[in-house]
Amino acid sequence: MNRKTLSSIATLALLLGAFGCGGGSGSSEAVKTDAPAATAVTKVDPATAATITGKVAFAGKAPARNRLIMDAEPDCKALHSAPVLGEEVVVNANGTLANVFVYVKAGLEGKTFEPAQGGIALDQKGCVYRPHVSGARAGQLISITNSDPTTHNIHPMPKVNREWNRSQPPRGANIEQSFPRPEIMIPVKCNVHPWMKSYIGVVDHPFFAVTGEQGTFEIKGLPPGEYTIAAWHEKYPAMEQKVTVAASASQAVEFTFKGD
Amino acid sequence: MPETPTPEPDPVVSSSLSRALLISALVVFLTLVWGIADETFFMRPWKRYQSRFVDKYTAHLKRLQPAQAQGEEGIHKTATYQKLAQQIEEAKKQAAPQRAAINKELNESIRPRLESLQVKYQEVRSHIAALTYELETAGGEGSKKSIRADIEEVRKERHDLDLVKADGSGGVERQEWDFAEMEREYDRLKQRRAELQTEVIRASAPVSALERQRDAYVKEQMTGLTREQIQGLLNKMDQFPSDIKQIHVRQIDLVDRCESCHLGTREPVELTKASLGEAVFAGHPTRDLLKIHNPERFGCSPCHNGNGVATTSVIKAHGYYKHWLWPLFKQENIEAGCQQCHVREIVTDHAETLNQGRELFRGRGCNGCHRFEGFDREPELLQAARQQMRQIEMERADAEREMARTFQKIDDPKTPLEEADRLKARADQIRVNANRMNERLEQLDVQASNLMREVKKIGPSLKEVRVKLRKEWIPVWIKDPHEFRQTTKMPTFRLSEEEIQAIAAFLWQSGVEGKLADHPMGNAGRGKELFETRGCLACHSVGEGDKLMGGTFAANLSRVGEKTNYQYLVRWVHNPRERTRPYCALEKKDLGPADYAKAGKPFRFDLANAVCPNDGYTLQVQQMTVMPSLRLTGEETRDIAAYLTTLKRPEASYAAAPYLDDPQLKQKGMSLARNYGCAGCHEIAGLEDEGRIGTELTKEGSKPIERLDFALFGHPAKNEGWYNHKGFFERKLKQPDFFDQGKVRTQLERLKMPNFHLAGPEINALTTFLLGSVESQLPETFHYRPEDQRRDIQEGWWIVRKYNCMGCHVLRANQPSVFMTLPRYQDPDWKEQLPPQLVGEGARVDPNWLVRFLANPALSESDTNRNGLRPYLKARMPTFTFSEGEVDKLVRFFMALSSQATPYIQPKLKLEQLSETERTMARQLFTSKGAPCLKCHATGNAAHDARATAPNFLAAKDRLKPGWTYRWMLDPARIAPGTSMPSELFRREGTRWVFNGPVPDSFKGYSKDHADLLVRYMFQFTPEEIRRLGGGVAGN
Repeated sequence: MNRKTLSSIATLALLLGAFGCGGGSGSSEAVKTDAPAATAVTKVDPATAATITGKVAFAGKAPARNRLIMDAEPDCKALHSAPVLGEEVVVNANGTLANVFVYVKAGLEGKTFEPAQGGIALDQKGCVYRPHVSGARAGQLISITNSDPTTHNIHPMPKVNREWNRSQPPRGANIEQSFPRPEIMIPVKCNVHPWMKSYIGVVDHPFFAVTGEQGTFEIKGLPPGEYTIAAWHEKYPAMEQKVTVAASASQAVEFTFKGD
Repeated sequence: MPETPTPEPDPVVSSSLSRALLISALVVFLTLVWGIADETFFMRPWKRYQSRFVDKYTAHLKRLQPAQAQGEEGIHKTATYQKLAQQIEEAKKQAAPQRAAINKELNESIRPRLESLQVKYQEVRSHIAALTYELETAGGEGSKKSIRADIEEVRKERHDLDLVKADGSGGVERQEWDFAEMEREYDRLKQRRAELQTEVIRASAPVSALERQRDAYVKEQMTGLTREQIQGLLNKMDQFPSDIKQIHVRQIDLVDRCESCHLGTREPVELTKASLGEAVFAGHPTRDLLKIHNPERFGCSPCHNGNGVATTSVIKAHGYYKHWLWPLFKQENIEAGCQQCHVREIVTDHAETLNQGRELFRGRGCNGCHRFEGFDREPELLQAARQQMRQIEMERADAEREMARTFQKIDDPKTPLEEADRLKARADQIRVNANRMNERLEQLDVQASNLMREVKKIGPSLKEVRVKLRKEWIPVWIKDPHEFRQTTKMPTFRLSEEEIQAIAAFLWQSGVEGKLADHPMGNAGRGKELFETRGCLACHSVGEGDKLMGGTFAANLSRVGEKTNYQYLVRWVHNPRERTRPYCALEKKDLGPADYAKAGKPFRFDLANAVCPNDGYTLQVQQMTVMPSLRLTGEETRDIAAYLTTLKRPEASYAAAPYLDDPQLKQKGMSLARNYGCAGCHEIAGLEDEGRIGTELTKEGSKPIERLDFALFGHPAKNEGWYNHKGFFERKLKQPDFFDQGKVRTQLERLKMPNFHLAGPEINALTTFLLGSVESQLPETFHYRPEDQRRDIQEGWWIVRKYNCMGCHVLRANQPSVFMTLPRYQDPDWKEQLPPQLVGEGARVDPNWLVRFLANPALSESDTNRNGLRPYLKARMPTFTFSEGEVDKLVRFFMALSSQATPYIQPKLKLEQLSETERTMARQLFTSKGAPCLKCHATGNAAHDARATAPNFLAAKDRLKPGWTYRWMLDPARIAPGTSMPSELFRREGTRWVFNGPVPDSFKGYSKDHADLLVRYMFQFTPEEIRRLGGGVAGN
């Protein structure tokens, strides 16, 4: 009898011991934190670098350029002896279109390039922005100067980047700002002088150009491959073309904007 | 020998109970095992949760530590930190010798001596204290005397003491002292110790101040927790006690044990489902909410529902079982819990779904059939006011009669003199009371006429159908409004053909007769341009489906040309409140020219002439619509109306409807209209006093589930798991006759609620709102019923929603107005044409000016075809014809939002006086080359203002507040992001702001703030100064 009791007590004690010692154990997980991958800067070998050249033609009758009315600001009016024409559509003498922003839209995915050296300049002279259309790299400094005898106000109106506006007195300090994100195109206006307009195209690679008086553009230093080139104009809808460039070759592209 | 039968075995000896015992023992044992298992494993799932949490959280914190440590190291490297650390070191060095000296004295001389004295001293002292107690409680004078003697004896007794020497040498001296000497030495030592301790603190003060500064710097710069804080949390996890975590709010008898499993709710580290891998440990989103509603005061379940007390299983705790009536709100309805306390509001911060639900309830006209406390209060308030007026009039009549009687008695010579005196006093009292009643009546009268203006109906008045609508269109519309106009508010009723014809006939025949003025046709091309720029699209829309452009607050006008005629549109667009006949609520009649002719009056009625010719009652002289008048010229009105009549589908055709004139259908139609509750949304002749036909929904969320009629779907609902309020509301809103399915009913017995064609998110919003509309378990002190300025904000939102201010204006940060979504305004050039944003309007404008502006935005009686303040905007601020009460509420709303003190005292008297030199200086600056002020701002001079793009600042002193003007000039982009006003016109120089450009020579030597000078100049304009600046009449 004693042994029986002893054994049942022992069993009971064992059972008690097994259940009494707390609940289940949790599982500790190790969640991996991934380290950010370092992106390598693409170096373009000058031996194999390709070039895309071309011109932007204008078909149709060039629309008449409107006169900018500067009556509200006599100081501006006094700076000009001849009427100042608007720069919305500037058709050159050889039938090409100026102020067209040409850039590589696709084909450079995944590549980052060395940051730009130096900055670009935007001047306010004669109460108009010079240049009317310009390009910049994302993060590149844009240096804005005021060469007029009146206070100007620079007000870019981007949709992706942050909007700001700053005043610049005559002969005042340069304003240096940059746009960290690529955006096509950022209109810039002056709060004080409503006729002033400028456009800045921000891209994250160095392959862009603006057509000038000859209506031509040249994009140098491209790695060989297939690209989509886009041409933007402030009035007419943008155009695109696919181009394939071989190593050290030069490819010509032509855009034709049709006037109404 | 016969065999003796074997004796039967004695049961006591032989029968064994061991089987029964064994079985019982086993059963008891199994029960024990079961009990222990339940206790430790099954019934306490929260223990498992807690141990999992401890493990996972510890791992998470350990992972965080290095990153945070790195961040802290970064801060340690910054210049500020280094400088502070250096300063701390220097201060420590400086303080070191003094501290050393003090500590030496403390530790080597004072403390040891004190300790050596203490024991004996305290022993004697307590002996004396005990004797003193006996003295106090002693009985007679004799025993007191003897005790006093005892005390003296103890005091005089001399003791041997081994005291540590006071010179710090460590040696011991022997003293023989009585109590008085011991006490003296003891007090001296204690005092010296206290002195030394304060000196230590003073010496270390600069060090501790610097250390505090350093820690504050680290805390500011650190995002998240510092290493020490994380270590603190880790220590907490090490010593984590595994027990029930509960919140007990004694006041409301609330016990919530949610945090026993939801351990991450209030942890200082931000935890998401991904951080610890389990959704249950995620932290509470929107920490701001926990700051406002401290869980220690509110608990969890008042907001979230569910069974806060349960801990035995997830299902029980969340209340998803049949015995718990209030299950946890699902994620998409989480904001329902806000409604029970924020019941007064129509806009609650952090509760966008709930706000949408409330706005749908209000905007779609649910209120037309279902009463809800707080919505559409104006008719009820009007009735209450009228009743009160009647009652007061009766009381006044009683008072007058009593007065007459009293006078009679006074004048009667037979009345004794004292009685007469008493009655004279009484008569005076009655007279004064009657006067007070008159005052009250006057106020109620004003209130009633205000309310009369404020009463609005969701749908257009159906009394005008004869002058407004094309008769064949009416039955097409009633059959399915949604087909004619996808975005219409009017729901689709389930009517048979006969019913439609009867109702259409009734409406047609009950409409008032009237004649519209005959206008020549306008120019539709110009009208289109006006329509798209004057601001119509802030409320109305054109285009259908993807091409829809404009706001959804008011009707889509894509097919309005099919429905109405040109002349009515001209009258409507010119003044939407104009109605064909005024309505007298007393006689229940629309008065015609004949009624006026009887009283010899011309048939003219408007807000100024609103008295009934028959009985002097106040007439309803306006259409009960919220659409305002845009103060358009006749030509503009005709052009817009012409454009609107071109909006139609050319292929649409309408069948002839001769039954509309059938008088036999009229009576049937009227009873059908009554049955379906048309008068809940529309003004219909003959049904002006109809009540609402639906159930009251104010506490629908608390309705016992048995009282919701699931019809034949009770069992399927229980089986499929939607037998609860949410399941009912969602199905009912999606298809209002859902619960009629399978039922055999006549047409009139069927469910009447029409189909509103609600989209999924809208149904969810309304369900959230209804789920939250409960009889709150919390006492009134918990409800959000502020009586201060915050109440003005609550009331103001109702009016803002009613009139759709947000169609044109931005009132809350990050809320886009409808204007901002219109395609035309995406062009950067048109951004300047947007109506002004009103965030901070209370801080900007003088409330008295705002009252004038809201009453008449043209700010002129003569020239009304303009915006009084911003004539350069093409969009037009309309005249809303607010009642005085509404204007008052709106102005107080803006002031409250900007925490402005009311009443507002104009600061002209508070501003520093402007000297003449200062005035000249300011004028020179204003008109200088460098200052762009006059290039954009209007001045009142018509020639100059033709090119102005900013308000007339010569009127600033009447309109703006100087504090705001100062801040605006310094940094406008902070107040109104995206504004055209240039920033950086001033730069900081020392403690003052200086104009950022060439200043006139007269400013040489001027040491005061330039911006302040300009503000004072603007607010102290004299008429002569204004003329000098070339301005016209200022302060229109």
